[in-house]
Amino acid sequence: MLNLFKRPFRQPPPDLAGLGAAFIALPLAKGCTVPAGNVAVLANREGHTRRLSEGARVAILDGETAWCVHPGPYGCELAPFAAAPEIGLRVRFAIDAPDPREVQQRFDLFLASEGGERVALDAFVAALQAALQRELAQGNLELPPCTSFEEWNAFRTGFNQLLYTRFGVMVDDCVPVDLGASRDLAALLAARLAAQPILQATSQPALQPVSPSASAAQQDAFDAVREDAKALRRLFLELPGVMCGLRLAVLPADCAIFRRHQELLRRLDLVSLSVGTMPALALAAPGQPLAAAEQRRRARHSVRAVAALDEAWALLARMKLAGAPMLPVLLEEADRIAANLACDCAARREPGRESAMGDAA
Amino acid sequence: MKAPVTVRSIAPDGSLLTVTASVRPRGGRADVKCSVPDAPELAGRMQEVVRLARHTESRFDSREQVVLSLDRVPAPGSRDWELACVLADRMVRGLWQPQLQLHNRVVANGWSDAWQLGRIDGHGLRQVPVGVLAGGEGGLPHLGALTGHPDPAAGVSAARAWFPLYSGGAGDRLCWVEVSVRPSPHEGEEEASITAPGVDAALQARVRAVLAGARHFDGRGMGQWRTTVRFAEERFQGGSFELALVMADRMARGREFLARGRVLATGQSSAWHAGRVDTVAGVEPKCALLAREAAPGDRILVPRAWETRLPPGWREQLRTRGASLACVDRIGII
Repeated sequence: MLNLFKRPFRQPPPDLAGLGAAFIALPLAKGCTVPAGNVAVLANREGHTRRLSEGARVAILDGETAWCVHPGPYGCELAPFAAAPEIGLRVRFAIDAPDPREVQQRFDLFLASEGGERVALDAFVAALQAALQRELAQGNLELPPCTSFEEWNAFRTGFNQLLYTRFGVMVDDCVPVDLGASRDLAALLAARLAAQPILQATSQPALQPVSPSASAAQQDAFDAVREDAKALRRLFLELPGVMCGLRLAVLPADCAIFRRHQELLRRLDLVSLSVGTMPALALAAPGQPLAAAEQRRRARHSVRAVAALDEAWALLARMKLAGAPMLPVLLEEADRIAANLACDCAARREPGRESAMGDAA
Repeated sequence: MKAPVTVRSIAPDGSLLTVTASVRPRGGRADVKCSVPDAPELAGRMQEVVRLARHTESRFDSREQVVLSLDRVPAPGSRDWELACVLADRMVRGLWQPQLQLHNRVVANGWSDAWQLGRIDGHGLRQVPVGVLAGGEGGLPHLGALTGHPDPAAGVSAARAWFPLYSGGAGDRLCWVEVSVRPSPHEGEEEASITAPGVDAALQARVRAVLAGARHFDGRGMGQWRTTVRFAEERFQGGSFELALVMADRMARGREFLARGRVLATGQSSAWHAGRVDTVAGVEPKCALLAREAAPGDRILVPRAWETRLPPGWREQLRTRGASLACVDRIGII
């Protein structure tokens, strides 16, 4: 009670400079009101989220984080292929009003699991682009040369669903554009050629192959503790969401599909349990520290498990669109993703063999 | 269970090394198992090569184990077998398939210090025999070149597209055309900056006219590049290579969406400056050839005029093979 008079009764308005342009979400302090046109999302450590509409007073409960979210719309340019920088997609997206059919809005889950303190637009766009590029590279979305109208419409449908299922944003508009003016390949290549050291004309290989793991600088750039914590947080919060979606997305037509679906959910349950009881990064056993190289290996397996989690979200988006004839193919894909998740989670638990996959079995 | 795959590699003494690859359920074992008779340390390097090369793939499947074996110990210091191992690993999992006449007769030589980037640094052959895949400049500079994609890390951008060469029966095959562009601003005629070494003057003139026209239509790319065009086979007749050439040029300049696999195209035009694609002759034999050669992820482009004349069931045949088809009457975005 002593500091009752130190704090002004009404909080100063929060610093929200750049919200809606350079930032999608910015932190909100306790006790301020949600500015007009924005919504507040509050999430606690267990991933439970709630929304407050504009004008409401932000009462933060214990352990909660609050963000002020501008619904947009936001504009960005995505490059669907890394090797083709001069052709891209101009996308406008928005964070929509909550869908009353969903228990938890996907964007709220995104904020809770990977939001960080603030969500910058360029980092978010980079994540969108990575998701798009991976789906195209795997052939789940098709954007081939000389795309026809039907193919473009199919792509748009899949792309909209992907962004809604993975990030919880609605695509307002998406058109192919020529990015030649802003991303000039000739200038890019010229810079790359200038940066390349002059290669000696060696046509003979070195007797000893250069081992890429020797580059110490790259190893140091990877912050094992931070990456591992981020990855495990995402797995812990998002796996239940994926499983819930998978459970609802498949309506088994016959007994065989039902069995496969049930088996898949059972395996994902085990992965979820494994994530929930994951041993600490730095300990091989209680009281026994783990070597730094082993910690890096563990963290890399967590990052790979998160990549499989991203694939699972993308698969969920495809399941929502696909008809019954596609179901066996999609379940096969789900089987692969579940196997990858289980494999990487098991390797993350592994205390310290030289490498979990390294022994020639 | 997929059938085992063999890939060969030429040893320095001229004999053939054989890499055999098979795939089986993983069952908790290592993802790649390698064996070389009497040389376990070499097997370790082999496993490292294959694992590094897998970093360039987008789809990871932990459910299967690939077993690779060399039939004997390669000469000490020779690393030319590395490419054969990488290709065998991809072929046995169905990620890449060679052209039909090469099936299970692939010979590949190449080594690299950066397999994780997909780069292939060179090969140790003094002379490359016909039909041998040789790594490095002039052959296969990186793994993406197997499907004609430009290397996203190289300073010179090169892309390939394939076109059907029809010679009335047994000799029918796909032939690639490669366009590589190097940034070099110039003032003069666009046609003077385009060279096609090894081809006769008439073909070279045609290549120059086609590329200059298509770049004029594109609006960008004039006066920016020094261009080299190569053909797998320099002696042929007709102009049905033109669409493939234009697509390869657009891909090399980073101005076209990319197919997951190769681009197989046939078509010509009398008005590339307007972006138009005209019809070419030989619907039936070319369709038959394309259906035989189509691999998963390939993109097949044929002239719009063919649309009504396609053989019945051909589209479905392509779709079951995982390839996609478009009948185009102009190039460019949609």
